[in-house]
Amino acid sequence: MYPELTPPLVAGLGAALAVAGYLAVFRPVLRRLAVRQVVRRPTEALLVVLGSLIGTALIMASLVVGDSLDRSVREVAYDSLGPIDEYVTAPSAQVSEQAARRLKFLHEDPSVDGVLIMRGDYAAAVLDKAGQQRAEPRALIWEVVFETAASFGAPDSSGLAIADPGPGQVVVTERLAQRLDASAGDRITFYAYGQPLPLTVAAVIPSKGVAGVGFGAVDNRNAFVRAGTLLPVARAAGGEPTTTTFVSNRGGVESGARLTEEVTARIRAELGPLGESGAAVETPKQEVLDSAEQTSATLGSLFLFIASFSIIAGILLIVNIFVMLSEERKGQLGILRAVGMRRRRVTGEFTVEGALYSAGAALLGVLLGIGIGRIVVVLAMNVLNGYEQGDNKLGIEFAVTPTSVVNGLAAGFLIAFLAVVLTSVRIARTNIIAAIRDLERTPRRRTRNLSLVLSGIATTVFALASIPAIAASSGAATYLLPALAAVAAVPLLRRIASPRTVYSAVAGAVLAWGLLANIVRPRMFDDQSTATYVVLGCMLSFAAVVLVTEHQTILLRPLRPLVQRSSQAGLATRLAVAYPTAKRFRTGATLGMYSIVVLVIVLLSQASAVVDSSVEGSVRNATGGWSLRADYSPSAPIPDPQRALTSGEYAGVITEATPLLTAEADATDPLGRTKDLLPVMAVGIPDAFAAGAPELTERLPSLPNDAAVWQLADAESSYVVLDDTYGTTGGPQGATVAPGDTLELTDRASGTHRSYTVAGVLADGSALYGLGSGEFRYPVLMGKAALRSLFGSQVQVSSLLLRTAPGTNPAELSSRLHADFLLNGLVVTDIQQAVRDGFASSRQFFQLMQGYLALGLLVGITGLGVIMVRAVRERRRTIAVLRALGFRASTLRWSFLAESTFIAVEGVVIGCVLGVLTTWMLYEYSPMFGSLDVSFPIAWGQIALTVGVTLIASMIATLAPARRAAKIRPAVALRIAN
Amino acid sequence: MKRRIEMASDGQPLLVAEQVTKIYRSGEVSVLALDRLDLTVRAGELVAVMGPSGSGKTTLLNCLSGLDDIDSGRVLIQGRDLFAMSDADRTEHRARSMGFVFQSYNLIPVFTAVENVELPLLLVGTPAREARTQALEILDRVGLGGRAGHRPNEMSGGEQQRVTIARALVARPAIVWADEPTGNLDTAMAGQIMELLQQLNAEEHQTIVLVTHDPGIGRSASRLVRMSDGRLAHDEVRTAALAGAAATAESG
Repeated sequence: MYPELTPPLVAGLGAALAVAGYLAVFRPVLRRLAVRQVVRRPTEALLVVLGSLIGTALIMASLVVGDSLDRSVREVAYDSLGPIDEYVTAPSAQVSEQAARRLKFLHEDPSVDGVLIMRGDYAAAVLDKAGQQRAEPRALIWEVVFETAASFGAPDSSGLAIADPGPGQVVVTERLAQRLDASAGDRITFYAYGQPLPLTVAAVIPSKGVAGVGFGAVDNRNAFVRAGTLLPVARAAGGEPTTTTFVSNRGGVESGARLTEEVTARIRAELGPLGESGAAVETPKQEVLDSAEQTSATLGSLFLFIASFSIIAGILLIVNIFVMLSEERKGQLGILRAVGMRRRRVTGEFTVEGALYSAGAALLGVLLGIGIGRIVVVLAMNVLNGYEQGDNKLGIEFAVTPTSVVNGLAAGFLIAFLAVVLTSVRIARTNIIAAIRDLERTPRRRTRNLSLVLSGIATTVFALASIPAIAASSGAATYLLPALAAVAAVPLLRRIASPRTVYSAVAGAVLAWGLLANIVRPRMFDDQSTATYVVLGCMLSFAAVVLVTEHQTILLRPLRPLVQRSSQAGLATRLAVAYPTAKRFRTGATLGMYSIVVLVIVLLSQASAVVDSSVEGSVRNATGGWSLRADYSPSAPIPDPQRALTSGEYAGVITEATPLLTAEADATDPLGRTKDLLPVMAVGIPDAFAAGAPELTERLPSLPNDAAVWQLADAESSYVVLDDTYGTTGGPQGATVAPGDTLELTDRASGTHRSYTVAGVLADGSALYGLGSGEFRYPVLMGKAALRSLFGSQVQVSSLLLRTAPGTNPAELSSRLHADFLLNGLVVTDIQQAVRDGFASSRQFFQLMQGYLALGLLVGITGLGVIMVRAVRERRRTIAVLRALGFRASTLRWSFLAESTFIAVEGVVIGCVLGVLTTWMLYEYSPMFGSLDVSFPIAWGQIALTVGVTLIASMIATLAPARRAAKIRPAVALRIAN
Repeated sequence: MKRRIEMASDGQPLLVAEQVTKIYRSGEVSVLALDRLDLTVRAGELVAVMGPSGSGKTTLLNCLSGLDDIDSGRVLIQGRDLFAMSDADRTEHRARSMGFVFQSYNLIPVFTAVENVELPLLLVGTPAREARTQALEILDRVGLGGRAGHRPNEMSGGEQQRVTIARALVARPAIVWADEPTGNLDTAMAGQIMELLQQLNAEEHQTIVLVTHDPGIGRSASRLVRMSDGRLAHDEVRTAALAGAAATAESG
């Protein structure tokens, strides 16, 4: 995944390894120092690697998710298409027959290796077996010349390489056989065009290639009969099966797709004037492969985005670890500098040491990431399939590409390596005497002057750059540039105020801007950029952490009675808060690790809670009072469906049935998010909407209410109503279509296109997704006259909205309808349940994201453990002195536990408060949550769980170092120290 | 070597070490650091322990204070056997009856001077307010009244050592152990620190056992003990104040 990133990452990796390798080979002293530092304390080296590898693991896992989704979607090309690259259909049997005749000789084209003509249609399939009846309302029955089908796409397998079964026989795919529990020899009755067609199963074949083909759906349940079986049945009923001409490009499943453009042009040329009559070329394989790429990129980057917070936490951990290492080795570094080691050699020593840790972490991280990715793929796929209605569910295909392994390894190594090198540069600047005598470092005068100049320039540049960014509401830049201007001004401000005042003021300003910017610029999130969220999360966390670390004494006031108590508990607490308060950078970095991850977890919890609390309202909005939707096969229509579904045994049960006029179409995206045409289902606004229609979130300002919108769209042929998720492809909520936007609809049959203006936006269009065959199409509601005017004979009725009597059990009613209208291939959808299922899937998706992000908490928790282990080593002398003075071992143990808990509590509280506050600000002041009309909920349960688990895990991570501290023998530690 | 029966001005033995043996083991190698050592320290004595490097001076201090375990023998402080106590009791005993001054000062780096000094008081249950008052008083007495709010890395070596002495004395321990208290200081500062210790010993009868390499400091102590190969090689009372109360006996 992300092949475009491979060259720079590999180049970066090569450069980093070259630098580390050069130092290791040509600077033996540095190598010796670095290697000995690592092997001297193998357990701690392992802890450093463990702390650093989680970032790599999460990068790798995100890439694996992308790879696997790509493979899973791509598998559709193998399952449902195989050698099929293009197919040609037409609105009428006559035109499609003519098209088939024109394309018959296309196989002579060198870019084409097969042409296959099949006639097919939807049919219900029923099997009576062992006294039980099993039925499939939406099977696809095809008549085909088996010999041609077998050689279609040769030398690659066509997927339908089977001998003609003979008259009265049928070959069924595994998917259909499973539905019916059918096997060879069973007798299935197909009901096509309302006519029974009894056939004996000759063979059950895998749903691969041509055998898995369908009209847009993925999970097709196919049956194949010899040519001349279906046509007479259709003609007897006055119908006509659709003739489809399938074309296979030269090459295999994926290589053939590369010729799509060329072959499509050739097909169009062959069709000539038939194109005007509605003969259309479809390029399903190219679409599937494009979709695979898009899905994997969207989901992969979404997971990478979530992982980025953990990666930031990981970077903080690496910096923290190396700052601690340098602190511990301060005296040693001072002496090395005193005896003549140059600064860059000190950097070199840390660089070599860091390269060793980074390499170990990257290698282990990649392996761990593949494992995590595998789990996430299974969970993500289940959630994704939960969104799909009908038969578009994807199978799980796990995949890891070499590109992803290279990218994951290189990115993980480089992040850790750069963090180490940059930290080392700072370490190497330590003053020799200050290092040896353990004194505070003071900046040199020259540095101060230089930093003032740089500060002035940077502040000006960032401030000036902020103006256009804010004016354009450009997501990340609107947040980041003013914040950078404030941070850059720190050296200047320190000329006029104390460091604490300056840091507090700047952090406060950054925090305030992070929380309030969306009031000033509410459309900042419209570009759907994940970078905006990353910048916002970092700004809020880091600013809050600076404020907290600068004002610990104020925050610790409530603890004063305990700290001042002259008891072991009081002394343990005093010690526990003393180090975090004194070591501000270290504490700040650890707090940052916790707070940024917890902030995003809480933000997701809150977003999930907001969405959850709006379920019932959304159900009401989406249904407009309609309970069920019935879709039936257009080839076996229900005569007078409105009457059939409201009379007889359904009288009083189904109180109203409203037929929907529909036509498949392509449409542009008014927001320009994609240049490709979007698949849409144009739906005629039913008359019944005048009495009760789904609720709208927005309407043209000139229209006083929803009813006026529906009236306008119904009466005026240039207005439409869209769903607010129109054109979205997943990822963070961005801009949505709005009244006044314009789009262009194209009739797929005739190629005619017209422009329409959006009159209103549906609050929830769930009821209108999956109309007809279940294929995903964005609904576009328009007046019936306008629908007919554009689509002509394409318009059909194959769906109805049903209103049921109070107290009706939807499941029971659906079951009865399925049985009674089986021959019509009727499928009933419980609209309310579909909306709830959609919400359930969203909830699961949030949970999956939270779970994924929770892995980032491991960075914090492991980091805290690593830091405490190092703290014990660093404080051996102090611990020995305390023990000498009379501190009990248990007091020391408790002080370490209390210290880690104190840090974890502060980090978690910062994250929680910011998470709730940010969601509330977004809820109140940004259009992100749309028009949700519920009071702002707080996800107390989830927050409590996050806090509880984090604190307990943090304490557990500190148990071992705390026990180790308590076991330190004072005389030994003092002797070593002295 | 002669065994001495020591008598402080009040005549009470404060510390009695009998046949104390300490062996350091590292893999196959064993080093006999203290070899069946006997020593009695009486209340009010200022004992200087001298000897070449590796003679066992610091080990003697660590073992007699209970910081380190011994392999055999026993150590009685105020009549209580230090190594018959549990670790917790020994820690408690140390908090109540001992103070420590180290060569490297060993102040708690994240605590201010006054916070370092009040620690021993808090450890024995002195109320916080009272502990703070006493800590400030003693800091004043060692000449650091104005540096109470400073952290160790903001002070000079001499100042840090004064804070260490203040911390060692603030809880009025029965005995103060000082390991090379002037080892990291220049001559002038070392003189001031010794003066301070002698003053405390003379005016407040504070019992002090100090390990030193400096012959000058050894000479200024009321009693000088020389060690060699883990044994007491020489033991003499040098000041008139203690001479009348001292008695000697054969040792070993």
